[in-house]
Amino acid sequence: MGVPRPAGEFDTSYARDMATIRQPWQWWLLFAFILALYGLPFYASQSTVSLVNRIAITIIAVQGLNLLTGYTGQISLGQAAFMTTGGYISALLVNQAGWPFLAALPLAALGAGVIGLIFGLPSLRVKGFYLAMATLAAQFIIPWFTRNAFPDVLNGAQGLNVQSPVLFGIVFNTPQKYLFLSLTVLVLSTVVAHNVSRSRLGRAFVALRDHDLAAELLGMNLFKYKLQAFFLAAVYAGLAGALAAHNIRHLNSETFNLNDSVVFLGMLVIGGLGSNLGPIFGAIVVELLIEFATLFGPFFITLFPSTAAGAVQALRPLFFGITLMLFLIFEPRGLAHRWQLLKAAWRLRPFSH
Amino acid sequence: MRKTPFVLTAILLAVALGVAACGPQATPTPTAPPAAPTTAAPTAAPTEAPTEEPTPAGPPDLTGETITLYHFGDLSGPYASITAPLIHGAEDAIKAINEAGGIYGAMLEIKFADDAGSIDEAVAAYDRFTSENPNTLVMITYGSGEAEALAQRFAEDKIVNITAGLSAKAFYGAGSGYTFGLGSIYPDQLAHTMKFLSENWAAYKPASAGDEIKLAYISWPTAFGQGGLTAESRAFLADLGIEVVVEETYDVAPTADTTTAILNAQAAGANVIWTNTLAFGPAAILNDLNALGLRDQFVVAGDNWTMDLATYAFLADPAYGVGLIAPFPYLWWTDTDNPGVQYAQQLFEANGRPAAEHNVGYLLLVAGVDMTAKAITRAIDTVGYENLTGEAVHNALIEMSPFDALDGVLQVDFSNGSRSPHMSQIRMIQGGPDKFTVIQDWAETPDLRPAE
Repeated sequence: MGVPRPAGEFDTSYARDMATIRQPWQWWLLFAFILALYGLPFYASQSTVSLVNRIAITIIAVQGLNLLTGYTGQISLGQAAFMTTGGYISALLVNQAGWPFLAALPLAALGAGVIGLIFGLPSLRVKGFYLAMATLAAQFIIPWFTRNAFPDVLNGAQGLNVQSPVLFGIVFNTPQKYLFLSLTVLVLSTVVAHNVSRSRLGRAFVALRDHDLAAELLGMNLFKYKLQAFFLAAVYAGLAGALAAHNIRHLNSETFNLNDSVVFLGMLVIGGLGSNLGPIFGAIVVELLIEFATLFGPFFITLFPSTAAGAVQALRPLFFGITLMLFLIFEPRGLAHRWQLLKAAWRLRPFSH
Repeated sequence: MRKTPFVLTAILLAVALGVAACGPQATPTPTAPPAAPTTAAPTAAPTEAPTEEPTPAGPPDLTGETITLYHFGDLSGPYASITAPLIHGAEDAIKAINEAGGIYGAMLEIKFADDAGSIDEAVAAYDRFTSENPNTLVMITYGSGEAEALAQRFAEDKIVNITAGLSAKAFYGAGSGYTFGLGSIYPDQLAHTMKFLSENWAAYKPASAGDEIKLAYISWPTAFGQGGLTAESRAFLADLGIEVVVEETYDVAPTADTTTAILNAQAAGANVIWTNTLAFGPAAILNDLNALGLRDQFVVAGDNWTMDLATYAFLADPAYGVGLIAPFPYLWWTDTDNPGVQYAQQLFEANGRPAAEHNVGYLLLVAGVDMTAKAITRAIDTVGYENLTGEAVHNALIEMSPFDALDGVLQVDFSNGSRSPHMSQIRMIQGGPDKFTVIQDWAETPDLRPAE
């Protein structure tokens, strides 16, 4: 959507016209915010740092899904399966081939991307609900493969212990240290996702989403762009999967499951489909809701000891389901849209319209 | 201006690596003294000698102190039905210990986190708890997945993990060493039961079966479900002359359909079905076997969790449970002559727990907490409260071995590098719920732990 600018702010160059962040103070604010995040290990508890790690990794996975579903309009229920792919590739390269983590990470992303391409092939023929079912196949085939294929290498259902990354002699084996990795990858992935969305490729994705027939009539090769979207989404999932596997330090076919894929979609709806801020808002809100449910559960039991035991089981799905439903009814464009409205209202103050 | 993001990213990368190099440690070193100093008169406890004999100065007075245990498990995922009684067993046992004066006056406290069966959530719970208490002594876990995933962390941070998830990898995988079981590992259970069957095949074989045991492994496609079949247990079965003719999986869901797996087993000539599942897992196989009219063609056996009241909740007819065979590395509620079982029964009634929770989970965790409390007591005796660490509790568990938890409800021996009990009965359902008849008394299970 077009965002109103403060009065008197004019673009004097093409670069400035294209800029995402327009004012120096905004750069400094962003830089301070990121520095504050990097500084978390020095002033926040281990559990907070651990939570931020999880949120950062989740955002990366949802960013990929946003490129596919938010920008291109292709529904996927296989994002967690591509995370499994990335996780296994990285684990095998680091554990068994002895590769350095920095080399294994991009290869894990690329490997997941290639697998994503394969599962994106049905998008040529089917869309909407049917495409969701086609991508759902990934969520069954890939875990099945990890359980049953090459048991000597993949270790069947027991899965793999995954080594902590080692970079320049530093072992990233604590949440505090791992934060530097996950945040750095998040910053990079955010920059790339943002630039993809405003490039020729991103505009093609949006054209495809908004009216695929019209886009094809204009000469766009829909299949190519759909596959590119699937590839990018799986690359992001591969990155997130590799990061998560080395963070958890264990990986099996259950680590990333169908429930995760569904929750990722929910995060996108809550955050805002087709917006670069959507994955960030969505992942933060849902992860905090899960955290809240976890912390609230014992308190709930204390309050209502006779009835709460059963109800606590339902807290997480309940919180997630109600939040998703409320957003679908009252703000289907998600928190990102609400944020834009807030910014516009701030800029137009004291006028309400 | 367009280059700014890249310049900033490069700076951030450099800063990140630099800061990571001198970043803070996750937790203080495990040998650090506990956060809470003792208020009791100091005992002349050694600081670094866990193998020394208990101090002669008499029991310390730890009144006013609190020892916190932590547990996490699946309360909102697929294993919720079995987790709730486990949790309540632990909570009631701790309440009873506190009412009896705690450990030298120190009150036990237990904190729970729901991980929904997710490994990611389990790691988060672990981080939260270790953040809250840098000198965490013991964590209790309930799932094989959690135990496997966290085994290395437990060992690195020297936190004892008492677990009901009996996957061999959790106990004996690379880098583990602090994970202790509340039962025999699944490969031991499979081997123990199949050894019994092979020795008594004539008495238990189906009428249509030949002289050779042909095994169908029909189970969940999870770390738990596949936990029975390892390289060691396969080799053991091969030595017994037992062929695994079919390996099938089915969904971890109460609605799972096992008919195809059963028909494949029949086609392959199997006469024994082993399932490493619980509650609705064995029930699905028993229901489908009866629906197919094939129940009399198979001996059905499973891990310790299969023989439980939770299974009955999912059986189409309670009679379908008859004939199920399972290893039993603990006593059962019907062993009322045992003081430990009597104690657990009193707790169960005193806390008004529902009949549905009168199952293995509750009983086992009462025994597990008893084992934990004994180990903590021993550790305090050995190193003193001020030096009480997870490492001291770990050492105590080994030094105490062999010992009985809860008056013999569980027979434990953690010596010789073993971290899972090796004593087990074998039982068969010969009637309705609770009619779990002993068909082989306590015997040592095969020791199929993988090489560490």
